[in-house]
Amino acid sequence: MVSESKRRKRTILTGFFGAHAYAGAAWILKARALTEMVYIDEIDVYPEGIAEMILDENAIAQVPRPGTSLKLPGANQTGAPSPAVRPVTQAGRPITGFLRPSTQSGRPGTMEQAMRTPRTAYTARPVTSSSGRFVRLGTASMLTNPDGPFINLSRLNLTKYAQKPKLAKALFEYIFHHENDVKTALDLAALSTEHSQYKDWWWKVQIGKCYYRLGMHREAEKQFKSALKQQEMVDTFLYLAKVYISLDQPMTALNLFKQGLEKFPGEVTLLCGIARIYEEMNNISSAAEYYKDVLKQDNTHVEAIACIGSNHFYSDQPEIALRFYRRLLQMGVYSCQLLNNLGLCCFYAQQYDMTLTSFERALSLAENEEETADVWYNVGHVAVGIGDMNLAHQCFRLALVNNNHHAEAYNNLAVLEMRKGHVEQARALLQTASSLAPHMYEPHFNFATISDKTGDLQRSYVAAQKSKEAFPEHVDTQHLIKQLKQHFATL
Amino acid sequence: MAEMKSMFREVLPKQGQLSVEDITTMVLCKPKLLPLKSLTLEKLEKMQQAAQDMVHQQELAEKEKQQITH
Repeated sequence: MVSESKRRKRTILTGFFGAHAYAGAAWILKARALTEMVYIDEIDVYPEGIAEMILDENAIAQVPRPGTSLKLPGANQTGAPSPAVRPVTQAGRPITGFLRPSTQSGRPGTMEQAMRTPRTAYTARPVTSSSGRFVRLGTASMLTNPDGPFINLSRLNLTKYAQKPKLAKALFEYIFHHENDVKTALDLAALSTEHSQYKDWWWKVQIGKCYYRLGMHREAEKQFKSALKQQEMVDTFLYLAKVYISLDQPMTALNLFKQGLEKFPGEVTLLCGIARIYEEMNNISSAAEYYKDVLKQDNTHVEAIACIGSNHFYSDQPEIALRFYRRLLQMGVYSCQLLNNLGLCCFYAQQYDMTLTSFERALSLAENEEETADVWYNVGHVAVGIGDMNLAHQCFRLALVNNNHHAEAYNNLAVLEMRKGHVEQARALLQTASSLAPHMYEPHFNFATISDKTGDLQRSYVAAQKSKEAFPEHVDTQHLIKQLKQHFATL
Repeated sequence: MAEMKSMFREVLPKQGQLSVEDITTMVLCKPKLLPLKSLTLEKLEKMQQAAQDMVHQQELAEKEKQQITH
């Protein structure tokens, strides 16, 4: 959605300059205004298509050593919370306190996992990034203009524009962000850097950005490194680290960030980058330390506050988590997610007066049905906590009405049904839950328990094995498997 | 007080077997803190939504046109 003022600015601009659209200053202004409309920080953008994820051959080592890859989240268990306390995402990582475009997915291991809509962020993943979101956004920006595109790219004489450096920079950003035509943008950047006799670091960074979007990581790396030699900039460090993350070399990225910190001590984005990598590698305690460093530099950093808050919540300190989330509220963050988290923290910190009002507000602020479902799911937990099983039942049902794929709600509903003695219903619910979310151990384990009780030992064993796969350290699962093995031995 | 204390003593059987039954209970999924969204993500989602709405509106308009001409 374009804000009212921006839309007005745009109509005024077109009115003024429509006829003489190519008159220098006005032309730049219009190009910049259009770019600003769809501008997103390139540092935050990662390719996220299924093809990029699955057919990704960029990783240097296909079988990396433990602790050196982002793809083996389970490998580094130092300080990682157990799934018995902190829920995990599809990729087997503990859920994070903050969503960025790249955290939406994690890195799915199999095609099947990738095809399934990610359940942490609820936007369907496009098949490839080049056919996906960016092109859609590009065409969308063309749709807004009934007279066709502002600049007809195929008719541009790029060599002419490359000779006017100031114009070229605005034009490049327009082509890159608004039209999403990376190849043309790359052509322009290549011509411009030639014109500047390879002395302008800005163009090198832009060429690197284009190469990165085109998936040519090694070429991008060269450009960024060469730009860094000329002029050290925080942005360039961040772009280069992004390349290393795409190549699945978190250690190199960490070293780079640390180099960057030597040049720019206390730079928040660099510290935050380190924290993100540690978090992705499941090294939560180191991540928390760096997030704390971030807060020392910038005490209004939303991502750091949210991540530390969720850490405290899942390490059994809801009172402290509550303080962090309250701080966010004071800073003016007012969203469904925040109020939901406040509600949960209040409940577990025994501040019952605020709990339900927070949830009510969260419900009224929910933007889509998935969010509503998650809030109802959490209200269900409050109901379980106060022992009101009817309310809990209704809440989990409401969660399912709003989001038919809410695996956690299916599982919890099954537990409630089992308490009422409805074995068949519980069994059906658990089967749904485990097919929706095979990465969670709870439905598998519960199914194994039920089957064990009803004497269906074979199914119980299969389910227990799945549970063990999802959460190897779970004591009850190990116990159950041991018991079943004894049974089979006696048979 | 000393007498009171001696009145209530825990009973520990000194003979025979002591057995504790460990009943496996079903587990609930844990409460879920919702992650906050970054500004970039919010903007991306808004733009995508706006684009979808626009395409949808255009399709509707085209359908209406077709119906009128038929």
